[in-house]
Amino acid sequence: MGNYFIRHTQVFLATLGDMARSPAATINTVLIIAITLLLPSLLYVLIKSSQGLSDSWQGRPQLSIFLQKDASDAEAQLIFQEIQLHPAIELAEFVTPKQALEEFRLLSETASFDEELEFLGGNPLPASIVLMPNKQSANSENLTELKDQLSKIDGIDTIRLDLDWTERFNAIIGTVSRIGLLLSILLGLGLVLIVGNTIKLLIHNRRDEIEVTKLVGGTNIFVRRPFLYYGTLLGLLGALFSLAFLLLAAGLVDEPLSKLASLYQRQSLVYQLEAAEVAAIIVAGGALGWLAARWSVAQHLWRIKPR
Amino acid sequence: MIKLSHINKRYPNGHEALKDVSFHIEPGEMVFLAGHSGAGKSTLFKLITRIEKPTSGQIFIDKKNVSRLSEAKVPFLRREIGVIFQDHKLLMDRTVFDNVALPLIVIGMPHDEIKKRVRAALGKVGLSGKESQKPITLSGGEQQRVGIARAVINRPSILLADEPTGNLDEALSDEIIDIFADFNQVGVTVLIATHDLRQVERLAKRTLHLEQGQLIGDYQHNSQENNAGNIQPGTSQEQQDG
Ligand SMILES: Nc1ncnc2c1ncn2[C@@H]1O[C@H](COP(=O)(O)OP(=O)(O)OP(=O)(O)O)[C@@H](O)[C@H]1O
Ligand SMILES: [Mg+2]
Repeated sequence: MGNYFIRHTQVFLATLGDMARSPAATINTVLIIAITLLLPSLLYVLIKSSQGLSDSWQGRPQLSIFLQKDASDAEAQLIFQEIQLHPAIELAEFVTPKQALEEFRLLSETASFDEELEFLGGNPLPASIVLMPNKQSANSENLTELKDQLSKIDGIDTIRLDLDWTERFNAIIGTVSRIGLLLSILLGLGLVLIVGNTIKLLIHNRRDEIEVTKLVGGTNIFVRRPFLYYGTLLGLLGALFSLAFLLLAAGLVDEPLSKLASLYQRQSLVYQLEAAEVAAIIVAGGALGWLAARWSVAQHLWRIKPR
Repeated sequence: MIKLSHINKRYPNGHEALKDVSFHIEPGEMVFLAGHSGAGKSTLFKLITRIEKPTSGQIFIDKKNVSRLSEAKVPFLRREIGVIFQDHKLLMDRTVFDNVALPLIVIGMPHDEIKKRVRAALGKVGLSGKESQKPITLSGGEQQRVGIARAVINRPSILLADEPTGNLDEALSDEIIDIFADFNQVGVTVLIATHDLRQVERLAKRTLHLEQGQLIGDYQHNSQENNAGNIQPGTSQEQQDG
């Protein structure tokens, strides 16, 4: 048992040594693996971020009710209270014209915002109420009915139902997820081919060593072990690099998105990978590397016979 | 210890390298395998170590039927036999230490133990202090001795040496053959392929004579009563089993 551990430690260290001896080639392969793994991971984060965005509407469509411009604060409050009492509504938020303007100001990039506002003759935005229907009412049929009911209330100018957009958004996410899955499978296959080919070259370069090792009593398992380590280690390193790239990419888009994020009372719109997901990426890299090495070894190692 | 019965070896190109070869080497014997170039000496070694398989006939090593051995058991056979190859089979880009240590690394021996053994083996063949050199920087005779150190490092019960004195001068040849004789002294069965008849006569050991794939002689020198060169046909080794 002790021997077994020693053997593996020796091979592990030797493999690291081999990699360090040809750093350029190793880094080259690791980077290719990293980029191959990066694409599906990026897509995953993108999808998760989008889902996070739609989660902040809790996946449910919103109703935006715009009050008539000339409605007084008291009238507006009355309408707000009436709407809150409606059984189909889970959450209602009152947005004063001032708040609406602030949001608008945040989203607008123009420096001359205040001047333009003056040109318009003051705040042009009406007070509004944002509604979130409860779960039972969150289908298009019930929502349309709700919209009809609410539009009968005095003092309401228009009601906007974000139904189409939500559905379309979910459909897009679904499509992107599927494309992502397909892409991941293809790229995984590509990764196996890349690592497999690297191992094939390695086996070729070590023909003599393999031959002599077999001559002095090395078993097939012993002979193939360094190659399995090599493949696995390449995969693991590739995964680590791709995580680093992912972090970099997230950092790059986080800043411009931060203004948008504050609208949703969120720190960041970019999905933060959980520990389990980070582990999954690393394990995926290692497993694919191992698989590739296994496959390559099975194809090429047996051909090398002592003479 | 090593027993061949009616061994034939035909290579894929149709060449018959060995024809109906039978002999039996007892444990602890030291035997020369003599014969001209192309007689089939290396082929015989390849059959014993299962690098090649005989076309027909049986080989027994220590009661194990070599030709019936499964592929998975071949490495364990090779661990019992130390081989000095005609073409050295040294790894030129590795150090002397790494080369000699390989049979021990293969069996997963702890590093400290390997170090001790490699030192001892290199000392035995007169290469102390050359651990970290590459074989390419060594002379032919020194390379030959690295091969010997590697062959004996795992303390095998059988030593096979294929032309171990190939291109060496007389003094060095004597030295190397004497190393084998030393191992034989402590009970190792030794089989040396050579066309260096000087050594055969000097040591006066049993000699198997191959000629064009056929065993044409099995002589027992008797150094006590006869002068070197005065040879008698061997009779004691002609047991027929089975
Ligand atoms: N792999 C092979 N395929 C075909 N023929 C071979 C092969 N190996 C050896 N031979 C032939 O078999 C014969 C015996 O070869 P072998 O190497 O056993 O001779 P040897 O006695 O060791 O010769 P030497 O003293 O020159 O080393 C030779 O004629 C050789 O050409
Ligand atoms: Mg030969």
